[in-house]
Amino acid sequence: MSFGHVLKLFTNPGSGWQAIHANRYSVGGVFIQHTAIFALIPAVAGYIGTTQVGWQVAGGDIVRLTAASAGRIAVLYYLAMLAGVGTVGWAIHWMGKTYGADQPIGQCLALASFTATPLFLIGVLQSYPVLWLNLIAGLPVLAFTTYIFYSGVPIMMEIPPERGFLFSSAMLAFGLVTLVALLAVTALLWGSGYAPTFTS
Amino acid sequence: MAAAQTYNDKVVTQFAVMTIVWAIVGMLVGVIIAAQLAWPALNFDVPYLTYSRLRPLHTNAVIFAFGGCALFASSYYVVQRTCHVRLLSDRLAAFTFWGWQTVIVLAAITLPLGITTTKEYAELEWPIDILITVVWVVYAIVFLGTIAKRRVKHIYVANWFFAAFILAVAMLHVVNSAALPVSLWKSYSAYAGVQDAMVQWWYGHNAVGFFLTAGFLGMMYYFVPKQANRPVYSYRLSIVHFWALTFTYIWAGPHHLLYTALPDWAQSLGMVMSIILLAPSWGGMINGIMTLSGAWEKLRTDPVLRFLIVSVSFYGMSTFEGPMMAIKTVNALSHYTEWTIGHVHSGALGWVALVSFGTMYYLIPRLFGRELYSLKLVEVHFWIATVGIVLYITALWTSGIMQGLMWRAVNTDGTLTYSFVESVLAMHPFYVIRFFGGLLFLGGAILMAYNLWKTVAGARVAHVAVPAPAPAH
Repeated sequence: MSFGHVLKLFTNPGSGWQAIHANRYSVGGVFIQHTAIFALIPAVAGYIGTTQVGWQVAGGDIVRLTAASAGRIAVLYYLAMLAGVGTVGWAIHWMGKTYGADQPIGQCLALASFTATPLFLIGVLQSYPVLWLNLIAGLPVLAFTTYIFYSGVPIMMEIPPERGFLFSSAMLAFGLVTLVALLAVTALLWGSGYAPTFTS
Repeated sequence: MAAAQTYNDKVVTQFAVMTIVWAIVGMLVGVIIAAQLAWPALNFDVPYLTYSRLRPLHTNAVIFAFGGCALFASSYYVVQRTCHVRLLSDRLAAFTFWGWQTVIVLAAITLPLGITTTKEYAELEWPIDILITVVWVVYAIVFLGTIAKRRVKHIYVANWFFAAFILAVAMLHVVNSAALPVSLWKSYSAYAGVQDAMVQWWYGHNAVGFFLTAGFLGMMYYFVPKQANRPVYSYRLSIVHFWALTFTYIWAGPHHLLYTALPDWAQSLGMVMSIILLAPSWGGMINGIMTLSGAWEKLRTDPVLRFLIVSVSFYGMSTFEGPMMAIKTVNALSHYTEWTIGHVHSGALGWVALVSFGTMYYLIPRLFGRELYSLKLVEVHFWIATVGIVLYITALWTSGIMQGLMWRAVNTDGTLTYSFVESVLAMHPFYVIRFFGGLLFLGGAILMAYNLWKTVAGARVAHVAVPAPAPAH
């Protein structure tokens, strides 16, 4: 039934969020019915893209990753996405008190997880890893994700829209900070000898 | 009789108007050089239009012309309002205005001619440096002198930030610009080798810390509570914020010189101090956000608030990113890449420019006693500016990391996988995206200029009487 909710969310975000809100997902429910399924898309696509298709830098040889290296990365990537959704859901729950919202953590996780759906779906493009193409395709999707997040916060958290705007902006800043932290951690790991193994 | 006294809003208005003018000029030059990176033929083989000469023009124009005028305008406005007194001297204040504009015009002439000290953000040659020093000392006299003759006992926290900015910039400028002139337009730095590099980045990072941060925090602490119509969330936190920030920032400069000839202990000190800096920065961000959060019901009618909210959010983001990038291992990847440029612009566009726009939308209508011409246009400006920033920083994050990885990639036999020019080639699509991001941001600034022009056209600067301080003060 999570698929029905996704469809509704894309065609009419307002009523989509109302349906998700009325469903009252539990923590396990969100993960099993939504996050765990949709997060598979970028992980699998990324694995295919880096091992089978490969990429070219500045007209050089096609670069690929070895299956073992790409497999490790895909698993880590999958877990990182689940952890990311979990963290954002927890942060929404925690920050909710500041903005006069008190919703069970399942609702907050549903908000985080369903918001990420467009990003999970566009993840399919990672099977064709041309960086700038992925970026250009990703940006409008990112804008749409932001839009459904802003429309979802007041409905899921049961607060007035203006208050929701502030709440969403605070969460967006939190999201950006998390993203930067991820960049830094990646650079740290890469620099400490955990670089992927390339092959051509 | 004190009741007849009015505020000196003439100089505030002059600086506010020039803020808008220099914003457009500086950002336009930025867009031009962004286009040159994507399409190098755009310098038309004219020496005055080469990237190397226009880039310092862009940085000087946006930091010292746009940012500087915004700081002069807001500090003169705030110090009068919070001290309940007219500026110390109209003549000296006027001198700072005309002096500062002269400096900017001289920069705009000498930099394209290739006259430069080659010190980043301190490119201007020694005669201009002396003029800057004179103007700055007069600025300090006007500002601190106004505080000295205040009629309110307490010195509001915004003035502390402005005062720290003025004093620190004076010290940085004089020390870093010390040079031996050999002719009218050529001088050599008073320092040599790694000492010169260290002094330069002590200056460079504190130009960010005091010019682009402390001064704009002064702006935040006055205009955010004013626009939200609420007191600062925690005044105590603002004081802690002030002392912690001013103490910590001054040590962070060496993070610009990681893995260079600078002694390792100095590099580590710079890294550790940069990480500590996260705490005061976030204290200030939380104070700003919490002050604004209480005014949520005003959001429906007040798009100016959005500028302030998003600017404080970007302040939080970029002051988180900075300490991350100062970690040696991360810096080994990020240094010299576009990631750094992206980081600077998330601070410069997201924080400095947006908080200045919010301030100008507050200030200019009030100075002329008018209502803003169009709130709708403010909202349009807000959205295109935000989209512009997002395009800009995502393009540079992606390209910066890619660039860093390409530079360090080695084959099994130890040779480099990519030549430098291959990494330049790989940047092209991202430079195009970044150009469009910058173009959107510039478009927003032009929209603001139009909106403010329609607001004030035909109006004269209003005379505002100095109110008598409340008896409690």
